[in-house]
Amino acid sequence: MNELFPSPAAGMFGRRLKRERGHRIPVTVITGFLGAGKTTLLRRFLGTPEGQGTAVVVNEFGATGIDDALVRSSTDETVLLGNGCMCCITRTDLQRALRRMVVERERGELPDFKRIVIETSGLADPSPILQTFATDRALGELFHVEAVVAVVDAEAGGDTLSWSSEARKQVILADRLVVTKTDIAGEGAAGALSAQLRALNPGAEILEAVNGELDPSRLTESAADQRNAFVAEAAHSDGIGSFVLTLDQPMPWPAFAKAMDSLMALRGPDLLRVKGFLDVEGCQGPVVVQFVQHLAHPPVELDAWPDGNRQSRVVFITKNISEQQVRDLFKAMRALT
Amino acid sequence: MPAASNPLTQTGEPITWNFKLLAQNNLGGFGGMGEGMSITIAKDGRRIIWLAHESAPKNFTGVDVSDPRNPKVVVQTDLPQAHMRSNSLECSANNIMAVAYQTQKTGQKPAGLELFDVSVPEKPRSISFFDCSGPTSRGVHQLWFCDGEYVHMASGAPDFKPSNPLDDQFYRCIDVRDPAKPKEVGRWWMPGTSATDNVAPPPRHPLDKGYRAHNTNVYQSRPDRLYLCYIDGGMFVMDIKDKANPKVISHWTNSPPYTGFMHTAVPLFDRNLMLVTDESTENAGKDWPKLIWMLDMRDEAHPVSIATCPLPPVDAYKDRGGRFGAHNIHENVELPTAWRSDQIVLGTFFNGGLRAYDISNPYQPKEVACFVPPGPKGSPVGAIQMNDVFVDERGIVYTMDRFSGGLYTLEMDF
Repeated sequence: MNELFPSPAAGMFGRRLKRERGHRIPVTVITGFLGAGKTTLLRRFLGTPEGQGTAVVVNEFGATGIDDALVRSSTDETVLLGNGCMCCITRTDLQRALRRMVVERERGELPDFKRIVIETSGLADPSPILQTFATDRALGELFHVEAVVAVVDAEAGGDTLSWSSEARKQVILADRLVVTKTDIAGEGAAGALSAQLRALNPGAEILEAVNGELDPSRLTESAADQRNAFVAEAAHSDGIGSFVLTLDQPMPWPAFAKAMDSLMALRGPDLLRVKGFLDVEGCQGPVVVQFVQHLAHPPVELDAWPDGNRQSRVVFITKNISEQQVRDLFKAMRALT
Repeated sequence: MPAASNPLTQTGEPITWNFKLLAQNNLGGFGGMGEGMSITIAKDGRRIIWLAHESAPKNFTGVDVSDPRNPKVVVQTDLPQAHMRSNSLECSANNIMAVAYQTQKTGQKPAGLELFDVSVPEKPRSISFFDCSGPTSRGVHQLWFCDGEYVHMASGAPDFKPSNPLDDQFYRCIDVRDPAKPKEVGRWWMPGTSATDNVAPPPRHPLDKGYRAHNTNVYQSRPDRLYLCYIDGGMFVMDIKDKANPKVISHWTNSPPYTGFMHTAVPLFDRNLMLVTDESTENAGKDWPKLIWMLDMRDEAHPVSIATCPLPPVDAYKDRGGRFGAHNIHENVELPTAWRSDQIVLGTFFNGGLRAYDISNPYQPKEVACFVPPGPKGSPVGAIQMNDVFVDERGIVYTMDRFSGGLYTLEMDF
């Protein structure tokens, strides 16, 4: 419809944005195995100035460890905490809970909140949560996942990673990895764990938190800034690998779109997470692209390249799809379109 | 869960979403503001926003907003009579300000248009006064003055007798190229609203707010076009190439079945679109819905409405106190001190606060920000009544409360 009423001020994808999430409510997904320290981390964060106005979404009220002293008032579904925060319980349907929160905030029935933190249950694969936000018709229009944070404890995390594919997946899909309990883990445990984490997810930022103490910005800042890092290709016994695709020339959008359409059609389930900045022919700023399996986020153009580095860089986390295969596909599509 | 039975909160939690509040100034306790907001740069470089008050005793206030985090009142003037209101003002780029004066009843004085030199903000100097008073006139309700040459206004006149007392203000064009000697060069009224017309008066609407001119927008991009809203009469696109003989190009209305009071029309020239607002004038949502409309103007002779800007549910707002619904929007004034956008529209909605919409897809305007502050101290209705909004070229947003809250300054964060 924009073709009927074009604006000289707009880009190919509509209004250029100063930040990736635009107007959408920022979401942080915190994942990690039982006992890793997610709740400790979260409780500490909620008490900081940066944590003010956070709405936490959990599956089970009891599992949050939020004690009665913090509770201000409640309904069956929402508990008000101090510092302008609240905790919303969803037993079955994350989508419905999030929509309900936005509607209630709009009606003035829920206090204003600035961000959402979703704390997943211990064995959760983050992929379904990421898919929930992937399309406009679902929650993608209202919310934007700024960062996926996986919490791993230095004491038992190494062992867990070796036997649990869910735990490995949590680490592989994360933008940031928080290592906890380094104060009580054995000597060398933290170092060994970091090496394991680095092998699984070379691009993630690895942080340490003792007793939940962590720079709050690591839970709030968009992970977009990490796409500058060049990372080596990583491959694992699950067949899951990650690489950063860089392109030296601007890409025609139809070629990129067709290439990704083909990839999603042929190998959707194996595209675990794809995100990055694309230099598109005819666009002045980077186009932010994001895919989760067979779902594509609507692309948005930013008004400027961060740090002036104008080069396509897209992180692919895939199962049994190599960087060379993706490059070959893009090259073929560019030649054909 | 209905707010009244929700143990979490009382009805009407404030919300600040994708705006950052920088400051609030209640203007020395006279925070009841109208719908005139305009910025000048003083000779010494200070940025002054001029604000019209909604009613007596104050006329206008000049606020130094060079630092929007620390707005400072530099001048505040009084109306000479308690039966007057200014409510509307505009400034040109050469520091001339036009102020509208309306009276409570016909026949009262002074009623008309006053021009000031505001190049020294502390000492606004009156240049001239154009008298619009008369036995059937309440003076000027609203004016538009950006090009420094013509004031386009909604006004009564001593020689105009309306066919219905509510229809007493029409469009007048005043030449102020010599600001010391303003003179009328053109006028137009909706046929049937003058007692001298040989056509039948228009049928009254159920809420009957009158067939009167309201906003009279003329843009330097199209100086031959007047975008005229006529309250219960809808919106007219007028050819004013010959200022003495304005001609109707097109007419659009939504009422009935809507509840009239068409207020402001803002063309988006590059996109062939137009934004049109209604004004909510009744408390408790009695005249709901009052909306911002999106019109397809690819053929200016045949405007087509294609969307409205979404609002929160009426039941969540109508009982908060005062009015709920559309009123003013940032009008993309073509001055160096004003922001202009055809992608984002900002509007005020009384107790619905200030809201911003992304209109890049004009068929689906999307709300991207809102600011609903607590009811300001001293407000007779207990809730915010956001009345007008202006955005300067730095992207700083200025919005004001109708009763006591004064001026709020904000940054857009989307």
